[in-house]
Amino acid sequence: MKLFESLHIFDYSWEQVTAANWQKYPNELSTHVVSVDILNREIDPVTNVLRTERLIACKQPIPSWLRALVGGDEFSYVREISEVDLAKKTLVMKSSNMTMSHLLLVNETVTYTPDSELPEGRTKFEQEAEITAFLSWSSICNRIEDWSVERFGQNATIGKKGFELVLNTLSQKLEQSEVLVKDVGTSILKEIDEVNDLTHELVNDVTVKTNSVLSQVQRLKGFWRN
Amino acid sequence: MGNIMSVSFAPECTDAKLEYDECFNKWYTDKFLQGKSIQNECTELWENYITCVNTALATHNIKPMLDKAQKENPFKDGKIDESKK
Repeated sequence: MKLFESLHIFDYSWEQVTAANWQKYPNELSTHVVSVDILNREIDPVTNVLRTERLIACKQPIPSWLRALVGGDEFSYVREISEVDLAKKTLVMKSSNMTMSHLLLVNETVTYTPDSELPEGRTKFEQEAEITAFLSWSSICNRIEDWSVERFGQNATIGKKGFELVLNTLSQKLEQSEVLVKDVGTSILKEIDEVNDLTHELVNDVTVKTNSVLSQVQRLKGFWRN
Repeated sequence: MGNIMSVSFAPECTDAKLEYDECFNKWYTDKFLQGKSIQNECTELWENYITCVNTALATHNIKPMLDKAQKENPFKDGKIDESKK
């Protein structure tokens, strides 16, 4: 688990910042945010705290090949729960990704409070994110293995069907004439070789792809680690 | 306000969302922040919008993930998710 923290001071009052918070998207810098929906909203009758649940859709930040490998949608979804406490002048927003959370979980907490030095005109923004990657070699390798086995199975079927065709031709020709046996024998060996070559080629194809996926995963893992 | 608000994940709900957002933002700035009202005054627009969203969610592939997240960390437990590790 990694912790990310940042701090920023906005030159606007807490009221302005929290009002703007509801209208933060769309903005020119956050083009990855596709949609924002409010799922629940209520005011606590005792504390007057305004509580809101939102669903935020973002464009997937990961490459499509990895998405295909680990299974995923075009968009990733984030759930956010926020509380505005007018009495304490705090806005706390907690969000977690729902998509791909079995691989990478980001729990973010953002707090907006009036800046202690200039509470009427400045707002302190504190951000904390816990990032946990569940990406293990074994899980990635299992996926690749499953995929490769499937691919190999498909290709092996093609190979077998080819061989059956050859056998079929051979037996037919055997029935037609004994004289042709020798010639047929030569040609069938050639055809078997061709089928073998084809199978080897496909196995090689799967191996090359697996290696390239693994190296890309490794690079991405390095990126996440840094 | 005049700001452009973000769209809904379901295009058919965007109009209802924009109407609700406009009402909410006005209420938030003019009433809530001033301590003038703790009543959410946009109930009708909210009902309109949330009905649309819930209908769209029911058939959306996000639904199982959302159900799981809401079960693990309910909106109505009165406390923001401190337990999540």
